[in-house]
Amino acid sequence: MQILLQLIASGISVGMIYGVIAFGYQLTFATSKTLNFGQGEALTLGALVGLTTINFLIGQAIATPWAYLLMLPIVLAFGLLQGAVVELLGVRQAIKTNSEAGWIMATIALGIIFRNLAENIWGRDALRFPSPLPEQALSFGGIRIQPMEIAIVVGALLLMLLVELFNRKSIYGKAVVATANDRDAAGLMGINTRIVITFSYALSSMSAAFAGVLVAPITLTGATMGAVLGLKAFAVAIIGGLSSGAGVVVGGLILGIAETLTGYYIESGYKDVPGLVLLLLVLSLKPSGLFGKPTIKKV
Amino acid sequence: MLKVENLVAGYGKVQVLHGLSINVEDGQLVTLIGSNGAGKTTTLRALSGMIAPESGSITLGGKEISGLASHRITRLGLAHSPEGRRVFSTLSVEDNLLLGAFPRVTGARPKGDVQADRNRMFDLFPRLSERRTQLAGTLSGGEQQMLAMARALMLQPQVLLLDEPSMGLSPRLVEEVFSIIRRLKDAKVTMLLVEQFAAAALDVADFGYVLENGRLSTSGPAAELKNDPAVRAAYLGTAH
Repeated sequence: MQILLQLIASGISVGMIYGVIAFGYQLTFATSKTLNFGQGEALTLGALVGLTTINFLIGQAIATPWAYLLMLPIVLAFGLLQGAVVELLGVRQAIKTNSEAGWIMATIALGIIFRNLAENIWGRDALRFPSPLPEQALSFGGIRIQPMEIAIVVGALLLMLLVELFNRKSIYGKAVVATANDRDAAGLMGINTRIVITFSYALSSMSAAFAGVLVAPITLTGATMGAVLGLKAFAVAIIGGLSSGAGVVVGGLILGIAETLTGYYIESGYKDVPGLVLLLLVLSLKPSGLFGKPTIKKV
Repeated sequence: MLKVENLVAGYGKVQVLHGLSINVEDGQLVTLIGSNGAGKTTTLRALSGMIAPESGSITLGGKEISGLASHRITRLGLAHSPEGRRVFSTLSVEDNLLLGAFPRVTGARPKGDVQADRNRMFDLFPRLSERRTQLAGTLSGGEQQMLAMARALMLQPQVLLLDEPSMGLSPRLVEEVFSIIRRLKDAKVTMLLVEQFAAAALDVADFGYVLENGRLSTSGPAAELKNDPAVRAAYLGTAH
């Protein structure tokens, strides 16, 4: 029982990371029905820019926790910018010409370019990311949890909550929701929907960059860290439903926990299998995701 | 106020409008009637920038708007209540109305008192008032139609385009919609109304255009059109 709870606890923090990245997929899908397949690389770049920034700040004799907090706005701003670049270079033209597949190849291509860029700037080795919180695990009735794992859960929920709050309360957030509802009608309201889509890409990459600096202190940082995370988060987005806000959190937790359980009880080599099996099951039984509404194509 | 000259527009290679010219004077209610597929909705879509015209000129208050993106045209004061209502189904009635005033709230148009205007809409459409916090997707078809009209009015537009406000409504609701159109006319809202109910449209309108296969077949003061034998035979159903 103890072991089971321990495995679940570890699965939760990994799952929340998947959830945040998948949340990013949802953001662009909502407004433009397109996705950034370079989402994993957005995470990588965010983590590496974060690493350089935090090391610089620590070098200025700033204590690690403060350096981490100061680094956050820089990484978030970088994520926004990077996402906007992806949209402008890779997606805008495809949307304009109603290309069915152009954006898929373009975002994959940009992802590869970003990964190469990261390899050349930061090298191919995995780098240690300074942890802002004590690395000593806390014990809750025998279940050991690292403080950073708690920070991941809190940070992930906070990010999603803030975006949701923005969408519900501000006029610009409502414009985003309107664009997601009906792009043409949003245009008739005087909303520049092209900017809304650029913004959703920016926000999407920002979420990934944030996930990058959340996960980096408990893993390692490197040019390839995002590839697998991005792919798994894509599975989470499909499992939870690309159009369901809460779905990605639940989907992320399901996948995260399934992985740690498989890794322990079956064989760690198979830990990627249950999530992918679940993905296949969802695709064949409920293609709109566990929590997604079925899409009705209007003619 | 709104002047269209030799408008040619369509979808891809399919040309729907072959050189259409219409004119809407300030404070006038002009109606565009015609059978299904004549190009009425296409005309409104070209006017508001939902599709880009191939050629021709569209001026709003003397300013050329042909070819501009729809959000720009809206910001210049042209509101469009589109075919099929197109309300934002996951947003509340109040938020739908607020978005109608988006250019005012965000500074692209004079702000005025958005809150007071919203309350005026609730006076004009009492059914919406009862449902103000409800999601627009849960409204009945008639209520959605009223919301679409109210949302367009929230712009405080110079010209309001209304596309088939009676479509799919019960006879009682059609009457209600037309009585609201009449009230807007009394309030000097400049409108271009597209309708299949030609008789009802000509009853409220000042001026009418009859569209046939993407071209004007005839036009004139609404009262004259109503008595035109050809128009009566084709659109007003002489049997009634």
